[in-house]
Amino acid sequence: MNTLATLLPLLAVAGGAIIVLLVDAFWRRPSKNPLAYLTLAFLAAAAAASVRLWDAGAEAFEGALRFDRPALLFSLFLILAASFTVLLAMRWMAQQNAAFGEFYGLLLLSLAGLMIMVSTRDLLIVFLGLEVFSVSAYALTGLKRNDERSEEAAAKYLLMGSFAAAFMVFGLALLFGAGGSFDIGLIFGAANAAGWPASALAGLGLVITGLAFKIALVPFHMWQPDVYQGAPTPVSGYFVVAPKTAGFLVLLRLMLPLGQGGAAIRYFLYAVAALTMLIGNIGALRQKNLKRLFAYSSISHAGYILVAVLALDARGMAFYLVSYLFLGLGAFAALTAMSRPGREFGELDDFAGVGFRYPWIGAIFTVILLAMAGFPPLSGFLAKFYVFSAAVRAGLVPLVLIGVLTSLISVAYYLRVIAAMYMREPDHPVDIDVENPAVLLVLFLCLYGVLQMGIFPGNILLVIRQAMSGLF
Amino acid sequence: MNMPLLSVLIFAPLAGAVLLIFLPKDRKDILYGAAGAASLAALGAAVLLYARFNGASAEMQFTERVSWLGGGIQYHVGVDGISLMLVVLTAFLLPIAIFSSWSSVKDRIKEYLFFMLLLETGILGVFCAVNVFLFYVFWEAMLIPMYFLIGIWGGRRRVYATTKFVLVTMFGSLLMLAAIFVLAAQYQKASGTASFNLFDFYGMSLPPQLQLWLFLAFALAFAIKVPMVPLHTWLPDAHVEAPTAGSVILAAILLKMGAYGFLRFALPLFPDAVQKLLPALAALSIAGILYGGLMALVQKDIKSLVAYSSISHMGLIMLAIFALNVESVEGAVFQMLNHGLSTGMLFLMVGVLYERAHTRTIADFGGVSKVMPVFAAFFLVAILSSLGLPGLNGFVGEFLCFYGIFGANHLWAILAVSTVILAAAYLLWMYQRVMHGPIIQDKVRFYRDMNVREIVLVVPIVILMVWMGLFPGAFLKKMDATVTRYIRSLKGQEKMFIMNRQDRAAALAHGSYPWSSTAETVPQSRIEDPSAAAAAKDIR
Repeated sequence: MNTLATLLPLLAVAGGAIIVLLVDAFWRRPSKNPLAYLTLAFLAAAAAASVRLWDAGAEAFEGALRFDRPALLFSLFLILAASFTVLLAMRWMAQQNAAFGEFYGLLLLSLAGLMIMVSTRDLLIVFLGLEVFSVSAYALTGLKRNDERSEEAAAKYLLMGSFAAAFMVFGLALLFGAGGSFDIGLIFGAANAAGWPASALAGLGLVITGLAFKIALVPFHMWQPDVYQGAPTPVSGYFVVAPKTAGFLVLLRLMLPLGQGGAAIRYFLYAVAALTMLIGNIGALRQKNLKRLFAYSSISHAGYILVAVLALDARGMAFYLVSYLFLGLGAFAALTAMSRPGREFGELDDFAGVGFRYPWIGAIFTVILLAMAGFPPLSGFLAKFYVFSAAVRAGLVPLVLIGVLTSLISVAYYLRVIAAMYMREPDHPVDIDVENPAVLLVLFLCLYGVLQMGIFPGNILLVIRQAMSGLF
Repeated sequence: MNMPLLSVLIFAPLAGAVLLIFLPKDRKDILYGAAGAASLAALGAAVLLYARFNGASAEMQFTERVSWLGGGIQYHVGVDGISLMLVVLTAFLLPIAIFSSWSSVKDRIKEYLFFMLLLETGILGVFCAVNVFLFYVFWEAMLIPMYFLIGIWGGRRRVYATTKFVLVTMFGSLLMLAAIFVLAAQYQKASGTASFNLFDFYGMSLPPQLQLWLFLAFALAFAIKVPMVPLHTWLPDAHVEAPTAGSVILAAILLKMGAYGFLRFALPLFPDAVQKLLPALAALSIAGILYGGLMALVQKDIKSLVAYSSISHMGLIMLAIFALNVESVEGAVFQMLNHGLSTGMLFLMVGVLYERAHTRTIADFGGVSKVMPVFAAFFLVAILSSLGLPGLNGFVGEFLCFYGIFGANHLWAILAVSTVILAAAYLLWMYQRVMHGPIIQDKVRFYRDMNVREIVLVVPIVILMVWMGLFPGAFLKKMDATVTRYIRSLKGQEKMFIMNRQDRAAALAHGSYPWSSTAETVPQSRIEDPSAAAAAKDIR
């Protein structure tokens, strides 16, 4: 297979980004929907190209990019997340005075970055992908140009992101010094053999810290609620899902070959996981704004996923991530739906009575919240179930206890939203724009995902098993 | 026997609930028709189940086993003599609870019925599940409809009450979930195969220290549900705020899930831990009996009086279970049915009264029997059944319980008898204050007596009460074999886990089978012979 065909998934996305940006430059009409359709077409092409590579797998640039099955599976997850985001944004961006064609180009570009991240075992390329994502993410955050909060969020994201990047680069330098390579296999082979000298350990620790910033693990999460609250709602939905999906695969690739000498890193992540579950859930308990609430809840979910990484349970991690893809984007789809031209309803009080006023949105949002809280027979329960049972088998019982008890806390705040929707009479009933078929489509797809993965996950489990057994 | 009877039973209400979504929401008759049909279909299946159930066998019957998620997680359901009773109770009470809401639930009927049917599926699933994973799924899923039923159609402090109910219950069940993980991991380590089959877990021998921790986790979940003092605080809140039908289901069925959990899971899985903790468990049960009874005496609200009486009665049931002999456990199961019927009916009657008076404060009433003679008669029957009048069901159950408890420990029995004394005191005193005496408040004169719908709903309960009181043998016979073997296995005389030939061969072929030495000591014929139970009974 020649290089061009191999790169097709990535080319469709990255090339698509440039084409969309160019078309936008010459597009004079106010409606940006054709750009959205064009974007969706590129995403579909990328997905098809990824599926085509599934059986054979492929490499490009002398092994710098490797499209193995885990990479392809996670690329597909990411493409799905981006497609949902496009659907959510189409009407919303126009209504909130942010109808910029750049949105679609930037989204594709950020997706390309994440896809690069998951498709390599070279840490320098990982960094490259992460920065491609980050730079477009800063711009996406600030896209509501006339909203101060959006701009503040972008600035904050940029500062913290650069900080994280600095950590990562420094760590890479140390690792290169210790191992003489950026390839994960070579670095770890040398370091494991040498019993992890201090410089290599510090390097790996810094690289993981940089990643932890991006996927918002405690104590590197401070920026996240502000950014997710300030960013345009569909973008926030993309942010809670996509960087986690890519980041955790990289993290898992770093943890899997870690030998005995690197136990310090494992203890470090052990503590980070416990803190992330605790702080994420406790933080969410106090939030009155739903975007902030879901920002904190996404931190807590990152904690649960980290438990899977610590248990070295690749399948559990993948299942959790894909289940969270539907949950996170579903929740933000509901928040996207709660708007009308020029106005957004994101406070808890706005949700009073919504369950009966807008039965479908209310019902689907409720199912998503219940799944996030881990009620069976929904996908969130099964995801936690797999992660925790793997963790028990790996001897991480204290983490499991923290996990189940913090999910009790999470039940409290998820139920508060449901209680607002169904058990409170509104003071001022909100009027939302109900004619947004794209958002409804996303909501129904998420509902389908939640139920299918909760009750009959057989096919998805099969695909995940096929893919993740190819991981190292 | 081709029809998957248990699946029909469990999922008929769910099908009804799905159907409801597509029905017009302002047509009360159609909605109730659909919901009633679904719950009656389940009742029909339950009756068929009861009739076909072979009481001479202690095996799980009507088992269905379909692989579901892999890793030992199967859709595996079945009933034995104990769960059969609770399944029938559930299927019997649900239609009554649904139709009792006809006039009391005024708006959002469609959603109300939807959640009622969802609840029924959840409860029936809990009682039928043999796979521990499946059990947990139903156990947790059942919370959601109850959350909405109390939270939307409840009283003034409904949101507080329902949130507390869910959070407290989940606190226990999440720890139980952690314990299930450990149990499954232990099984996998010991046998090399993954399983969530309860009967596989029965056969495990766990180190005592671990057993203790796991038992505590399971016991916490179930003790909250029962509820055992001091974990009961959610119950009065939930009961008082719940709509009538919610209270009926809560008291009559949901509390039984806790006791059932002890019987099915906590005790047989961790027998050593149980032996160690028995005095403490019994003490908590007795504390529940006394505390519930004494609190019931001083309640001003009829509904919270009945709620506290539940705590007292459940204390007796738990004590009987912990007495661990055939009579006491049979008594406990029988008493679960009685308590379901009598307390369920008491809540229905309180609901009838509330619909007329819009108050439940005892002091607001007086002389009600003069204007509502029919109501007075039915109310009295419910009360007499609850306090164990000979000739009605309550007597049989309580007698068996006391007899069994006496066999285990004299002191327990003496303390346990206070259940009846206290029940007589608080129930009859309440009856006297509400129903007799002069009519103090004028508006009492305008109460209508029970209408035909309300009478039709309680008559089946009364018939069952009398029937069970006069002919308890028919009911006891259905569970005799099960309970006999249950006690024998708890006392270590007989292994509980049952395997057919293929399972056993597969397990042996797998190589490691650490407890196979103990399994060998069980006579092969006992395991595979369906008449094993009969043999066990002869020994008794």
